[in-house]
Amino acid sequence: MSAVATDALAVYRTATRNNRLGLWLFFFSEIFLFGGLLITRFALWQEDGRIVRPELDQTVGLVVTTVLLVSSYFMNRAEVAVAHGRKGDFLASLFITGVLGLVFLLGVIIFEWGVIHLPFIQLEHHVSPRDGVFGAVIFGMTGMHAIHVITGVIFIAIVWVNGRKDVYTPERHWGVEACAIYWHYVDLVWIFFYPALYLIGEVAHH
Amino acid sequence: MKKTSVFRQGIIVGLLLLALTIVEYVVALQTTSATILMLIGAAKAVLVVYYFMHIASLWREGEGH
Repeated sequence: MSAVATDALAVYRTATRNNRLGLWLFFFSEIFLFGGLLITRFALWQEDGRIVRPELDQTVGLVVTTVLLVSSYFMNRAEVAVAHGRKGDFLASLFITGVLGLVFLLGVIIFEWGVIHLPFIQLEHHVSPRDGVFGAVIFGMTGMHAIHVITGVIFIAIVWVNGRKDVYTPERHWGVEACAIYWHYVDLVWIFFYPALYLIGEVAHH
Repeated sequence: MKKTSVFRQGIIVGLLLLALTIVEYVVALQTTSATILMLIGAAKAVLVVYYFMHIASLWREGEGH
């Protein structure tokens, strides 16, 4: 490698380290947003001093959580693949991640929010935004998270298109890394939202 | 790290996350404790932050791609 190319790579690496720090600072600021929503859930979902929760469909919760976790695995696989110059594996893994992200989103919209009504699916324990603190908190938490999922899927689509155009190399793929870290962050938020919404507390009688 | 071991590491972390999610669900059938369930969540979060989000690369010299 020539001295000019070595210098350019060193500059790129310094820029990437700064970008990475900036992305983590962004996540740090987002902790206050999602942390606030989490605290709201525990503050409002109480009855006589006991932590409670509405009766939600446990199958929906477990399935959408699993889908998001599996998408995180494929995102990691995409990042590793691009770092090792495996373009086919990279594009396929990224595509699967995006599809699983959409599946998660549709799962929440159809089964949890009930916005889209499917005639062949009977919803159990569905909560509407008008159901007092339960509806407000559920729609507030899942809604804010869904906005991040949509952003992540758009980000994945952009990176996938760039990947097809050979924009990324094993040495230079900050775009892929940023997209992967962002997607894992979306997963990270859900790791805490899932037990808070579906598992913690006794089922409230309302 | 060798190519195969990096891919294998991703699979192992993914399986651990799935296993912890199932444990979380089964534990929730026995107890409604916020502490226990949030601790399981924290264990999953550590795996994601360390292995998938590469937080250690923030203070590692020469890491940049």
